[in-house]
Amino acid sequence: MILTTAVLSAVALILFFVNRKENGKQVEGLKIGAKEMWQCLPLILGAFVLAGMIEVLIPGEFVRDWLSAEAGIKGIVLGTLGGLLLAMGPYAAFPIIASVLASGAGLGTVVALITSWSLLGLSKAPFESSFFGLKFFFYKSILSIPFCLAAGLIAQWIESLLR
Amino acid sequence: MKKSLIVIAVSVLVLVIVAMIIGGWNLILEGLETAWNTAIQSALMLVVSFIVIAQIQILLSRERMDSWLGKYSGVKGIAISAIAGGLIPGGPYVYYPFAKSFAEKGLPAYILIAFLFGKHLYDFSRLPMEISLIDPQIALIRNLITLPIPIIAGLLAEYLLKNRTKANLFSEGEV
Repeated sequence: MILTTAVLSAVALILFFVNRKENGKQVEGLKIGAKEMWQCLPLILGAFVLAGMIEVLIPGEFVRDWLSAEAGIKGIVLGTLGGLLLAMGPYAAFPIIASVLASGAGLGTVVALITSWSLLGLSKAPFESSFFGLKFFFYKSILSIPFCLAAGLIAQWIESLLR
Repeated sequence: MKKSLIVIAVSVLVLVIVAMIIGGWNLILEGLETAWNTAIQSALMLVVSFIVIAQIQILLSRERMDSWLGKYSGVKGIAISAIAGGLIPGGPYVYYPFAKSFAEKGLPAYILIAFLFGKHLYDFSRLPMEISLIDPQIALIRNLITLPIPIIAGLLAEYLLKNRTKANLFSEGEV
């Protein structure tokens, strides 16, 4: 956690100086960041509470049978379905995904969940169908499903190698 | 944002009631303690993440993205488009109208597909959040696994759709 924060801080510092050199809008960037954080804070805090409750409520048996590495393809299919239903932005979705991980879900399930949320998340449906038509949304979603399953399977294979 | 907040609030309420029925106040407090610990652990990283996200937004304007697209075609075009998708900052109100403009520019549909898959899977401005809120290792593995997907999706679309633009994409009733 400390290393990640340090790396991110270094990236922030580099971007700050790049913006200073490129456009002089680095302070504006800080203001935008502060404003966005303030706007997202209630959502993030709410998501933390939701994630905390999920973590203590998911029954161990359910995790073992359906979400863990031992659950096999079941966990990946469930992860793909879960991502589809997770119709919310990253500030809300990521703490929930983290709680699923913390409860003991396998890498395959979590990767399928993130990939499916990214590609299939239902919150995108109104935008995609209104901008490009229902048919486009439908075909893009159909094209995305095998990618989510494949990503989950590869992650599961990686997890078996890491053990 | 408001809708998400309502969904979260209602979900929290439902889970609190479930926790009350299953384990009473102790289970609710356990859940809140887990939430508090996560919040404390991620606080600093969240602040830094927002700084990174905003600086990226300032650096990568829509005009800059625009100048990158349309210059290349084939695999190179697909790769550039997928990366541009990952780099374009902002939410759906920003990138969907931008992607829609591809048709007006006469860009082939496979460029649009690569761009959308790139935005959804790479989204570099979302990466700090994924690292800080989920787990750095998981984020790394997930990103490595899904790295080829926008390219594969773009190539598949190129093969299936040839050089159609979004404007005539479904006019013949097939994909």
